[in-house]
Amino acid sequence: MGGKLLDYMEAHELLKRNGINAMRAVYVASADEAVRFAGGKPIVLKVISDKALHKTKSGVIKLGLSNDSEIRAAYSELEKKAMSLKPYKILAQDMVRNGLEIIVGGNTDVQFGKMVLIGLGGIYVETFKDFALRVCPITRMDAESMLDQLRSGSVIAPNDKKRRMLVDLLLKVSKMLVKNQEIKELDLNPVILHGESYDAVDLRIIK
Amino acid sequence: MARKYANLNPMLQPKSVAIIGASANPDKVGHVIMQNYLNVGYSGRLYPVNIKAEGKILGYKAYKSVLDIKDRIDLAVIAVPAQIVPAVLEECGKAKVRSAVVVSGGFAEVGETALQDKLEEVARKYDLPVLGPNCLGVMDLKSRIDTLFLPTFKIDKPQIGGVSFVSQSGAVGSTVLDLISHEGFGLAKFISYGNAVVVDEVDILNYLADDPDTKVIIFYLEGVKRGREFINVARKVTLKKPIVIIKGGTTEEGSKAVHSHTASLAGSFEAYRAVFRQFGFTEADDLDDLLYFGKIFDTQPLTTGKRVAIITNGGGAGVLATDALYNNGLKLAEMSKASESALKKVMPSIVNVRMPLDLAGDADDKRFGAAIETIANDPNVDAIMVLALFQTPGADSRVAAQLIKYGTSGKKPLVVVSPGGNYTEAHKNMMESSGVPVYGSPSSAAKSLAALISYSIYREKAAHGNGNKIDG
Repeated sequence: MGGKLLDYMEAHELLKRNGINAMRAVYVASADEAVRFAGGKPIVLKVISDKALHKTKSGVIKLGLSNDSEIRAAYSELEKKAMSLKPYKILAQDMVRNGLEIIVGGNTDVQFGKMVLIGLGGIYVETFKDFALRVCPITRMDAESMLDQLRSGSVIAPNDKKRRMLVDLLLKVSKMLVKNQEIKELDLNPVILHGESYDAVDLRIIK
Repeated sequence: MARKYANLNPMLQPKSVAIIGASANPDKVGHVIMQNYLNVGYSGRLYPVNIKAEGKILGYKAYKSVLDIKDRIDLAVIAVPAQIVPAVLEECGKAKVRSAVVVSGGFAEVGETALQDKLEEVARKYDLPVLGPNCLGVMDLKSRIDTLFLPTFKIDKPQIGGVSFVSQSGAVGSTVLDLISHEGFGLAKFISYGNAVVVDEVDILNYLADDPDTKVIIFYLEGVKRGREFINVARKVTLKKPIVIIKGGTTEEGSKAVHSHTASLAGSFEAYRAVFRQFGFTEADDLDDLLYFGKIFDTQPLTTGKRVAIITNGGGAGVLATDALYNNGLKLAEMSKASESALKKVMPSIVNVRMPLDLAGDADDKRFGAAIETIANDPNVDAIMVLALFQTPGADSRVAAQLIKYGTSGKKPLVVVSPGGNYTEAHKNMMESSGVPVYGSPSSAAKSLAALISYSIYREKAAHGNGNKIDG
């Protein structure tokens, strides 16, 4: 489909404006800034560059940095690795808490326009292909039926509270896609479910 | 671009028809079409048109041009070589013809896009609803019109009924048409629309939505041209009547760039499936389903309940049927205490009164009748599946008559499963022509019941819920 990948933090802002939770993140220009961002809590550092789409594979992501020295060491290592990936930025993000991974997304169908998707995420996306898709704008009934359609529905939304949370998330994503017609594609993958909340951990928006 | 929907009344209920390309030569398509009009007993005014015409064609005065006809023509059926279709259409426009069916092939489907564009241009200039090109056209047995160029001895004509069949493809169209008559349910209208240059699926659905003769729509679709309008029309239709749909071209060929999961999961066919699910279509996996679902929707009432009673004259068949229910997301009904004691009074001791209800191999019409009567009135039962094995000594035409009595009462959906040979086939035909859907296996019957129930649930939710609004 082509299109341009929206800057990570711009995507982050857009989601926030639409009431969608994305994991706390910021660009850092130095190891000091990264340490300040962490504030004593574990964080992740990753290189954001058009040339590094597979962060894990190219080794430009550092997970679970839980103290200052770890953060500083990781930062300087990433700076070296990123030399060949210019232009790049380094993103600091809160470390993900454990939880079930789902995928939430949207795209633009040539015939039907904006579509919204939810599915079981992580390593299961390709294996189980357990997802539900609808044309935007969706109604509450549509969002409910998307969860009912998933084979993993009772795992993803085991109680009413979580179900409501996901229905609201889907309605917000649908609304955002309709309002921002220039968004061709949206990939929140993964969205991590924990307790009574969720966080979109990796974001891709293509305009 | 939004545009108003084409008015298909003159095409489907024409009072005057011109057949352009009509011929006295039996080898010509135009001859077969003309002959078919005579065979179905069309009672309107018929005008054969042929540039080389002299005298009469099949007993009717022939005209060289549609412009020579004094009468106002409701429908022009055009079966002339593709190259001259635009010129013929131009004449139709000038003659104020109200609709046209272009049977001829040789347009975009063989790469002649410029010719097709020309056809479209002429049609738009005169605001002329044109069906096709490259299609079989329309058949309406009640209005006695038939533009099909299929020799009548090669294809069985269905009886008149409540199912309208829409097909993008002519070949799938004629095959299914033939099978519809075999399945014993009735046809309201058949519309084969080919390249959909002017009249497309949106116009057709919009027309059928308000057609009082159409109770059910079965649809072979390859692709839509106006996606959002298709949705807008379809969601109105499915609140009133079911659309059973089969989509051709379900496999994605080639691999797209897979850097986004959403893009790879939400491929084009998946988008169609999503639309079908979201707006209350009943999706058929194959042509069998199209027919099986068509006949249950045509004859049986809707129900949102999933508790299905099984009545059988064979124990093993009852077990298979129970499995089939659960494999299709349905449940075996539990009969009420009242039904249980009522049945215990009338059933012989060899009948174990519980679900699935096995009436035993010697069950006759009286036993079937008593069982169905009680079960049909049981509040714990939403639908009934009767396994009537006609190989058994007690099963004969009197059993079929009982099944017809209850299967056409319209209270609860009832389906019959009767696998078998010629003797069974005769009884199947008897039941089906009376309006009872009969299936060859418990699984096809259960799948059809499940389709009926899930459509019923959709319709109830969509009608009473928060609506299913979508803006174009």
